[in-house]
Amino acid sequence: MSVFIASLGFALVSSAVLAVAGVGFTLQFGVTDVMNLAYGAVLILGAYVTYVLSQHGVNVWLGLVAAGVVGAVISVAINSYILTPFLKRKTSHIGMVIVTLAVGLVIANVLLAFAGPNGVALNADQGATLRWGDIDLTVLQVEIIGLSIVLMIGIALMLTYTRLGKAMRATAANPTLARNCGVRTSRVITLTWLISGGLCGVAGAVFAMNVGAFTPASAGTFLVVVLAASIVGGVGRPYGAMAGALLIGFSTEITAAILAPEYKYVVAFALLFIAMATRPQGLFVRSSA
Amino acid sequence: MLGSLRRSHATRITAVGIVGAALLAACGGTGSSSSSGPIASPPNLSGQTLTIGDLAPFTGPDAQLGPIFLAGCYAATREINAAGGPFGAKFDCKSFDTRGDPADAVPATRQMLASTPNLVAVVGATSDEAATVVPILNASKMVVFAVTGQSEFDKNTFPYFYRLNPSDAAEAQALIAYAHFEQHATRVALAFGNDIGSQTFVQPAIDAIKRAGMTLASNVTLDLNATSFRTEAATIIQSKPDVIISEAFGPAAASFLSELKQENGKMLPVNLTSVDPTLYQGIAGAIGAADVSQYLIGASPKTYNSGPAYELFKTQLLASASQLTGIDKFLHFHGTPRMYDGIILSALAMLMANSQKPGDYLPFIKKIANGASGATVVTSYTDGVAALKAGKTIQYLGASGPIDFNQYNNSSAPYEVDHFDATGNLQIIQTIPPEQVAKVAGT
Repeated sequence: MSVFIASLGFALVSSAVLAVAGVGFTLQFGVTDVMNLAYGAVLILGAYVTYVLSQHGVNVWLGLVAAGVVGAVISVAINSYILTPFLKRKTSHIGMVIVTLAVGLVIANVLLAFAGPNGVALNADQGATLRWGDIDLTVLQVEIIGLSIVLMIGIALMLTYTRLGKAMRATAANPTLARNCGVRTSRVITLTWLISGGLCGVAGAVFAMNVGAFTPASAGTFLVVVLAASIVGGVGRPYGAMAGALLIGFSTEITAAILAPEYKYVVAFALLFIAMATRPQGLFVRSSA
Repeated sequence: MLGSLRRSHATRITAVGIVGAALLAACGGTGSSSSSGPIASPPNLSGQTLTIGDLAPFTGPDAQLGPIFLAGCYAATREINAAGGPFGAKFDCKSFDTRGDPADAVPATRQMLASTPNLVAVVGATSDEAATVVPILNASKMVVFAVTGQSEFDKNTFPYFYRLNPSDAAEAQALIAYAHFEQHATRVALAFGNDIGSQTFVQPAIDAIKRAGMTLASNVTLDLNATSFRTEAATIIQSKPDVIISEAFGPAAASFLSELKQENGKMLPVNLTSVDPTLYQGIAGAIGAADVSQYLIGASPKTYNSGPAYELFKTQLLASASQLTGIDKFLHFHGTPRMYDGIILSALAMLMANSQKPGDYLPFIKKIANGASGATVVTSYTDGVAALKAGKTIQYLGASGPIDFNQYNNSSAPYEVDHFDATGNLQIIQTIPPEQVAKVAGT
């Protein structure tokens, strides 16, 4: 068995999970201009929703839907009841980042109080192992990849062809101009939180299906990786986040295979530094100059 | 002009006063004495509370560790307080969260020292933070009891630091000895985390594998912050090991084992260091209870789950249920009775020293633990008080078994092999013969 070839399969799965999370994160940031560091905590909340439901005999895919709903509701609530009052008081960008960080810590620690510090395992049925040469993936992993592709295509179609998608893009480009052109930006922003929160919850569920075991603290590193994928691709650019997820997912797994596992994040973040130094607008964003 | 001179003069007086007060405080502060004999007369501390600090992770990836020691603290302070406490003082336990990160542990330690005037001993200082906090505690002349196995404490030079269990090197050697002599493995893979606490196992394990004449199939370092280990699992499987020696590195262990099983199609034998019952829920969910029971074993320093000291510890622990949710599970953690013993030792040492100050009672800890010829063996704080009142010298035989500190303040113990039963409790399979460990350790 070639570990290198095998790692390509694992990279696909990692990228798929990362893409769902990254697109939700960057969509919300692009439209609302708020760097939401509570995203990781909401994501893990989604993972726990799926876990708790599965413990009560609920199918994991229904659990995934429930996680999406919970993520959406929580995210809208965070925006409406916590962030909007701060924004109305003209809180600075960095102030908003701190507020979201605080919200994330509150959610994570409340979760810690209820769930405890010990890990839990989502015992999702992995299904049979499918082999293509040295690449072997379980049925569940293939389903996760499929789900991610469907969601990515859905987001792309929504942004391109629907009135909501166009309104989102208009709000992201220039909210004042969009408002003057008749776009109800506050409603668009609320719907953006709803959709990105839903993706966040779903990302939590697929994260749990993929890694199996997790704790309230699992959000920390994963959020950093999500941020990396979003930034490499171009902050606020959903298509960039998709590409960034592939880049980060493949670089981490290939590094683990051909170099050493302890360097996988070293290489991923070195790529991030290079990307930010050479193309600060994002690797996959055309320069406006 | 006159006014300014007066102000200047007053300022100088105030400054001299502050410096003088600070010097006096420094001379008379907690733990300042270096005497090795008892103070002439015991203090009267009625109505006062003496605090035991639990300096350990309560949040973060190793959040399960802090409560293990807190449970031991609650049980010990219950026993001590029931007997009236040293010099009429009551003991209490206070948690200080290091988050399992040296960067957070240092301010947590300083905050503990600054905000806890009656702090008399510290328990905790896990492998996550011991390297950074022990020097601070030692410089502050604060007694600390730990169960960290880090090799840098094998020849500990901090007089205020006491280690109540063997080193990680000894644990790694015990697991290699078991793989060689009992599991008859010839190819061994190592999979340890990239943190300082995990890496301390690796070199002793590699050396032991060579001495045993086995082959190191692969040595994979895992990034414990990663969420997936599939490529690492594939690397190990490709190396075709008979046994994998790894670590119970918290929740990541469940992900790693789950992916190992998935990639291999079935579970492989895994010998784990640092096993405790908190691991069970996660890994049983990840690979199934039957595989946990069949394929996983752990090594733990031998704990004597019987005898009067253990029975009393058990009673006091269970009686402390209102203070810590699910406290009964800590009966199965080797760290809990060890910290209990450390605190009982401290309280008895205070009585011998006629002082609650760590600097005063420090020399008596080893005397009570190791015992002198003809010493009366006591198994509880209450018995110790009675024996001391009767003018006897004492030796404390703890809930975790005999404690025998060497010149580096390390207490060793034989290792036992455990496995999880169907209910998630650790059951002893066997004690690893010390001569087998000695063979692979080269001693």
